[in-house]
Amino acid sequence: MMGDELSRDARAVYDRCMRIVHVARVVVPERRRDDWTREWSGELWYRALLLDRSRGSDRHAVRRLVVRTMGVFPHALWTLTDEMRIDPMLQDLKYAIRGIVKRPAFAALVVATLALGIGANTAMFSIVHSVLLRPLPYERPDALVYMYGGFKQNSQAMVSPPDYLDYRDRNSVFSSLAGRTVYGTAIITGSDEPERVQSSIATANFFSTLGVKPYRGRVFLPEEERGDHAVAILSYGLWQRRYAGDARIIGTTIPIDGRPHTVIGIMPPVLDRTMDVQIWRPIPFGLDEMSVRRFHFLRLVGRLKPGVTIAQAQRHMDAIARDLAAQYPENESWHLNLVPYRDVVIGGVGPVLLVLLGAVGVVLLIACGNVASLLLARASARSGEMAVRTALGAGRSRLVRQLLTESLLLGVTAGIAGLVLGHYLLVAVRAVGDGMLPRLAEVEIDGTVLAFTFGVSLLTSLVFGAAPALHAARSDVAAMMKSLGKASTTRSAVSTRDVLVVVQVALSFVLLIGAGLLVRSLWRLQDVQTGFDPSRLVAASVSLPQTKYKTRDAEVRFWDQVFERVRAIPGVESVAATTLFPLRGGGDTYFYIEGQPPATDADRMNATPAIATEDYFTTMRIPLIAGRVFNAADRSDGAGVMIVSDALARRLFPGASALGKRLVVDFGKPFVGEIIGVVGDVRIYGQANDAPEMMYFTGRQPNAGWGMGFGNLATRVRGDPDAIVSQLRAVVRSLDPDVPLSAIQTVESILYDSVAAPRFRTQLLVGFAAVALILAVVGLYGMLAYSVTQRSREMGIRMALGARPTAVFRMVVRQGMMLVVVGIVLGVIGAIAATRLLAAQLFAVTPRDPAVFVVVATALTMAGLAACIVPARRATKADPIAALRLE
Amino acid sequence: MKPLSVSALAVLGAISRSVRYGFDIMDATGLPSGTVYPVLGRLERDGYVRSKWESQGIAQREKRPPRRYYEITAAGARALAESAEHYRTLGARLGISPRRTPTTK
Repeated sequence: MMGDELSRDARAVYDRCMRIVHVARVVVPERRRDDWTREWSGELWYRALLLDRSRGSDRHAVRRLVVRTMGVFPHALWTLTDEMRIDPMLQDLKYAIRGIVKRPAFAALVVATLALGIGANTAMFSIVHSVLLRPLPYERPDALVYMYGGFKQNSQAMVSPPDYLDYRDRNSVFSSLAGRTVYGTAIITGSDEPERVQSSIATANFFSTLGVKPYRGRVFLPEEERGDHAVAILSYGLWQRRYAGDARIIGTTIPIDGRPHTVIGIMPPVLDRTMDVQIWRPIPFGLDEMSVRRFHFLRLVGRLKPGVTIAQAQRHMDAIARDLAAQYPENESWHLNLVPYRDVVIGGVGPVLLVLLGAVGVVLLIACGNVASLLLARASARSGEMAVRTALGAGRSRLVRQLLTESLLLGVTAGIAGLVLGHYLLVAVRAVGDGMLPRLAEVEIDGTVLAFTFGVSLLTSLVFGAAPALHAARSDVAAMMKSLGKASTTRSAVSTRDVLVVVQVALSFVLLIGAGLLVRSLWRLQDVQTGFDPSRLVAASVSLPQTKYKTRDAEVRFWDQVFERVRAIPGVESVAATTLFPLRGGGDTYFYIEGQPPATDADRMNATPAIATEDYFTTMRIPLIAGRVFNAADRSDGAGVMIVSDALARRLFPGASALGKRLVVDFGKPFVGEIIGVVGDVRIYGQANDAPEMMYFTGRQPNAGWGMGFGNLATRVRGDPDAIVSQLRAVVRSLDPDVPLSAIQTVESILYDSVAAPRFRTQLLVGFAAVALILAVVGLYGMLAYSVTQRSREMGIRMALGARPTAVFRMVVRQGMMLVVVGIVLGVIGAIAATRLLAAQLFAVTPRDPAVFVVVATALTMAGLAACIVPARRATKADPIAALRLE
Repeated sequence: MKPLSVSALAVLGAISRSVRYGFDIMDATGLPSGTVYPVLGRLERDGYVRSKWESQGIAQREKRPPRRYYEITAAGARALAESAEHYRTLGARLGISPRRTPTTK
């Protein structure tokens, strides 16, 4: 509009000031807004012009102008308050603010109650939104399909590399089909301390299938799948942590598993959130073991071609699987199981989250009920005021609008408070629930959640505001004028409030039952015997680089030295090692009783193998049931020996001793072992899972197990387990600085962590149920207290006519407890229907556990009784004289 | 009539001496912008001043947006005189000599 009459400096000053003006502008009532802005821009431009004329990029003058511009805020506010004098809507707002300021306790109660409900919902919805609703952070995630290998006994097995290649080349439903190994590890050495990290071997097209582009460098080339290429891609996390995010790492070599690898790329941070892999290497299809169809170790990911459904793809892949089975006998019954990738990432937490979301929804419902009840009480307390205002000529719509403005203001305030509360709840949940929920790190309050929160708060305030407003507007002016000062109330208002209390009690009963069931289930879970003694026991993982420890003897020598030095640490009671530590992994292998080989592959038996050193069972305090444990005489040159768990012994030789029997176990090559001992069962997969059938071997015999290149050190101490951690590290480092010691943890803390997920959801639900209970009790109390106040005249007359205080007391308690009992009865019905959703989360507890129902019903009755006592006592204090005087 | 506030008196006094624009009034009275503009708004609402937009011609010649200026009304002149008198009497009663009105720079 204006010419370039201003210098660039002056123009910048003017623009800066006008930005301030535009911020303040939103406050100005629309009617005045344009004039208001023009006035300021006129003055500011003029002043900027003066700056130029006085040749002044004079700092003081500029600052003074900016300071003066700050006057737009008081000016804008003034226009708003001035407008309030005439605009009815703003008048309503002013009136509402005044009402709130005049009754701060009422407003605080309403806002706090609603904010609690809204805050909990915001936090929970944020989690559900991020975890369940928002698609994976990949390109067109709905087209991604995860594939397990499947055969008769296992539908979540792996896929062999030759099968993968056939599936890849023969299918016509995937635009891209990739594979990778899961559960692999690698040891990084070099400048820093050696470290064991999660590693994966992937096909060259793996990243392009997901649609993930490298953060730095490049991904694998197709030719890197052939031959032997020592190249690696690092995760963003590893790159930041170990290499300080230095981009010059690309092109250099780092030792991985004792062999130099060239770093060719860095993956973006987004991959860290969904995959626990720090090192990626290309799959070497050329190697011998890559061409064996019996070796299954890949999981596949495919991107569907547009328009292809997952069911079509499944049928198509099944057809290929049948062809392969016809061609290769070892493929009998093998096929692929296609699952939407999203389901794999979300895992089993979907139902849990929905239950929790339902629970917070119920909390919000109860909160709304309370607020509605409060507003109803307030509305009937103000019926006199409304009557007067109606009599003075206020239209009904005007009254309704004013009441709605009030509740809207409360709702918006509560929404803001709830958002803040939700943010902090989310921070807390993120801190507590780390690792418990997939993708929890990604959870944040975003635009959708913000919209949700404000939607909820507006809807709530309109719903709870409308009822009292309509009620007030409907009331008969004449009747109300007449009853002014008499403080009586209409029957209909009270019965609405009764219904609200009943519903609140019923809803909180359902939540309490849910929480009670989870608590009981958690107790049961924590009471489960693991089969070993976890107290004062320290676990640590040790990985021997394969390039350095090539033989069994070298491994055994290393471990023997470790034991010798650890035993020398003061306070160490005993030390041992095993390949398969409780709660840290597992895996099965096939075996048969000597002389009874299986007729077909499908008849093979499997059990879980582990290598254990001589002192393992004494260190872990796993009871020896029969025979003996390993000793130094069980050497490579002697006969093969093994120990089995009680469950396996009973299955194989029911009613007979297992000692002296011989099993043939498949470790690539068959190993024949004589059973020399039977030991107690151990729940190695956690308390919620049954103890697997175990076979133990000694690391000193070749072909027994897969060696001790990776093992867990178990050390039992006399004093504080944490005290020896640094000494353990020092021992291992003094033996070989290239050997990483990781995952050092007391076994008690491993056990504690193993029930972390159920504990986490239990804590959440208990928290929600507690809030619900408090709200319901407060609601009941408020309703009774109000009703007693309203009926004080009636109570006074009753007592004047001879009613004893105890009778009045009982009458009020009965009135309250009727509602509680009806609420509990409805709650029982609701709980029976609702707790079925929880069944999958319960361990050794049925959803209709009578103990929980009885305890919750009793507790709720007690809480209800407590809420009745105070108002009932107040009722007995009603003054008969005062009541009669009013008549 | 309720006397004007001291700042309103200062602003009205400046306008009566033909200081017409918001920022010039700030210079003349030494009052901050956050005070001057609300006072101007109140004075205009109460009919003591009226505001006008300067002519498009001047603004266009100087290639700048037009400024709003304020003029005192008859009611404003009366209120100014009465309020000045009020403060003078008040000062005399308190034993303060009415050397200057608060409107002077």
